Amino acid sequence: MSETALRAALAKSGAAGIGQISIATREDGSFALTHHEDAARDDLALYANADDAAQLSRFDDAGNYRPLKTAPSLRHGWRLTVPDHRSLDFALDLFYPGRLAAFLAWDRGRLVTTPLRETLQRQTGMYRPAAKISDPEADGLVGSFCRSDGGCLRTILWKRDRDGSPASTLLPPEKFDPAHDQTGLGRPTVPLLCQEACNLLVAEARKIVKCGASADSDTSSEAGEPRDGTHQ
Amino acid sequence: MISSSTSALLIVGHGSTVNPDSSAPTLQHGAEIRRRGIFSEVACCFWKEEPSLRDALLYFADETIRDVYVVPNFISEGYFTRTVVPRELELTGPETHRKSGQAWKYCKPAGSHERMSELLLQRAREVAPGIPEAETTLLVVGHGTSLNDNSAAAAKHQAGIIRGLNRYAAVLNVYMEEPPLVADWLKLTRTRNVVVVPFFVSDGLHSDEDIPALLGIRSQERNGQDGNPHQIQGRSLFYSTAIGTDPKFAEVIIEQAASFETQGQEVESAS
Repeated sequence: MSETALRAALAKSGAAGIGQISIATREDGSFALTHHEDAARDDLALYANADDAAQLSRFDDAGNYRPLKTAPSLRHGWRLTVPDHRSLDFALDLFYPGRLAAFLAWDRGRLVTTPLRETLQRQTGMYRPAAKISDPEADGLVGSFCRSDGGCLRTILWKRDRDGSPASTLLPPEKFDPAHDQTGLGRPTVPLLCQEACNLLVAEARKIVKCGASADSDTSSEAGEPRDGTHQ
Repeated sequence: MISSSTSALLIVGHGSTVNPDSSAPTLQHGAEIRRRGIFSEVACCFWKEEPSLRDALLYFADETIRDVYVVPNFISEGYFTRTVVPRELELTGPETHRKSGQAWKYCKPAGSHERMSELLLQRAREVAPGIPEAETTLLVVGHGTSLNDNSAAAAKHQAGIIRGLNRYAAVLNVYMEEPPLVADWLKLTRTRNVVVVPFFVSDGLHSDEDIPALLGIRSQERNGQDGNPHQIQGRSLFYSTAIGTDPKFAEVIIEQAASFETQGQEVESAS
């Protein structure tokens, strides 16, 4: 990650934040990060190590694990201060893994997007059946799973297929607009760009094919996969 | 020889959508290696977490980075190291040259490092300090029975190496889901002291819950290594956390990257 990535992004967009995070620049050149709804609070737990972002982003307010870091469920109650741009980039890459790199590539005109069908068709093992999802099922899945309100704050750049079909007809046009603030606050923002369907969406597609509907009760998605690393 | 100014390291982990501890060791090893300044950049990516392997293709955009060493943080070669990682990272062989001229060098998984038996031995001694090894059985626990799962063979290989050192009264490879079963440890072992080291890259359901339950450790006593030794049917049982949580794994990852160049030179000199 270039240490100038976010500096360029913030300067270009005039944003003072990314996703649900507000970024305040201090006189000494350091940065203070908070949940954007906490920016005015003075009773926050204080953190001063960029590595702390990993723990701060891992659970939501109710203590639930957040496997999707761009879900609109960032916990409240903390302020993370980092000394310079490099550590700011590093912390934000823990809060929103890979998103600054995607933004930088996009800004340079180098971001390659992959249609959903290609992502699904290259899967092997337990995810191979996901490619069998029908177009209407995929339309409904993406419309529900990726929605900014309660799903994911990324801006979708990929299409459903090479023909250019939209990722979902159920999502509003602004879901595909990098200039739109997916939090709904209408602020200038650094977009959380989505260049390709994530593994969570692929797993949901598999569930639909296997179960005939979105099956939240299907817990086999990890246990059934061939594995060599005994990862747990 | 790794050049710190022009080289980056990418550690690939499995991750989990349900277990928040799964990626923790990989992230910790990454942080430790970053702190040492051996590489210009150090990043982690995961199959089931973010950043994904596809996201990792966007890292290392700095044009000064010429080499990216990719080290899978897995116990053994298998489905992920041979199929998923090359496919997702668009690796075409041991060394893949990107359009940018950057070379991505695909290294051996951390768990296959020749020092792994040394780490298992050290971990066994740490969880049972002062316990005579000659009066102790060491159990190396693998998962077993997963499709295309080479970790069972890897656990057997490690147990064989340690057995050959003749330090412990016995060294056994046991598994959760195939014989010899960890659940049969009382029948399989004869010594009063038994040390158990899970051959996994991270703690989680298996090492925190499943294996302790199979060993007969009561649920209220399942507290990592703090409850050692557990007294079960006249035996003293010493239980370790997963070997992959050992801080020395960071060194193993570094050495796997370094050995990519060494092995390449060996191939060249042999040809």
